Amino acid sequence: MSEDDGASRRALLSGAGATLAGAAALGLAGCGSKAKTGRESVKNVARPIQRLDVQILSHLLDLERRTVAAYIAGIPLLSRPDAKTAKQFLDEELEHTGELLSLIKTAGGKGSVRTASYELGNPVNGAEVLALLHGLERAQIVAYLKAIPRLQPGSVRAAAASILANDAQHIAIIRMAQGMTAIPSAFVTGSE
Amino acid sequence: MLGAATRRELLVTGARAGAGGAAAALLGAGPAYAASTTPAPVSEAARLERLLSVELLMLFCYTNVLGTSLLTPHAETVLTPLRAHEEAHIRALRTRMAVLGGREPEPPASVVAADRDLARRGVKGRLGQLQGSHDALHLLLALERVVVGVYFVALIKLPDPQLITLSAEIMAADAQHQAIIGELLYSGNAQNAVPSGLVQGVQ
Repeated sequence: MSEDDGASRRALLSGAGATLAGAAALGLAGCGSKAKTGRESVKNVARPIQRLDVQILSHLLDLERRTVAAYIAGIPLLSRPDAKTAKQFLDEELEHTGELLSLIKTAGGKGSVRTASYELGNPVNGAEVLALLHGLERAQIVAYLKAIPRLQPGSVRAAAASILANDAQHIAIIRMAQGMTAIPSAFVTGSE
Repeated sequence: MLGAATRRELLVTGARAGAGGAAAALLGAGPAYAASTTPAPVSEAARLERLLSVELLMLFCYTNVLGTSLLTPHAETVLTPLRAHEEAHIRALRTRMAVLGGREPEPPASVVAADRDLARRGVKGRLGQLQGSHDALHLLLALERVVVGVYFVALIKLPDPQLITLSAEIMAADAQHQAIIGELLYSGNAQNAVPSGLVQGVQ
């Protein structure tokens, strides 16, 4: 790959964040009923717990947005079958951002400001993109496992666990695409 | 299908069974339900017993399926570690159960008993009627979805942070099992193997 190509790739990776606005909005648009259903549950908890939840959920949202950016930037470098799978996973990551935003808003938060760009390295081929996605999914798993016991009420905890479970599925399929054992442990801990 | 107590809890928390986003379980309790049902508090040990019970059924089904000649060699290779995972889940839950002093459920005593439990939980397949690898994989996939659903419901109610983390780790692992079995059934079709961004299983 030439230096120009590298620069273009960097530009693509840096610009990915900007592409997210519409995509994330789409994810949110599909979650109208979820926002409504989450509202009562989250509003019924004490204000300090809501503040803590907003902090935790906002951190998770940042990680999800970074992963979305990586999928958007990386898909063009993947083989056709891997790209097809990655597009599906991208849709699901967007669903996660929508779910988190609706939970944050119903807890009285606004959601953190979207970062303009993310430092995602400089992957130049499909294998490097898969490695990047693997790392980001793993970081999300670690973050969700740290967050889940701290979230209140239990319904918000379960919602976060449903996202964690999906990220765990992503990482298993990505590991298969990388020629690795799909599920290396009986417990999903993010420590591979 | 859930046990009666769990079903009541689900109604009271307002979670609507079936397909839908995770937020379905976030739905606030409808006043009518809240007023007409007042379930007795369920102890942490009782919740753990439910998790153990469904894991024991899952292990029984893996063991039974792997003990037949129904599976293709590839499917057998893929599924063998998953059975070991279920054994590890059961060991971890038993350790917690010992601390709580709860009653440990028995595994299914026979294929007939397991099939009865599968029917009770709304799983369509029956161990005694499997015709081939496809049937076996569908049954295991259906039960993995039920297992994930049991953990999803438990996570709404469990109070202990350590047990919450353990449950989340196991729920995520069982979701991975779903994805891998889905890959065996629908190779290369992520839409079928990982059909939803919010994994809450079947309740």
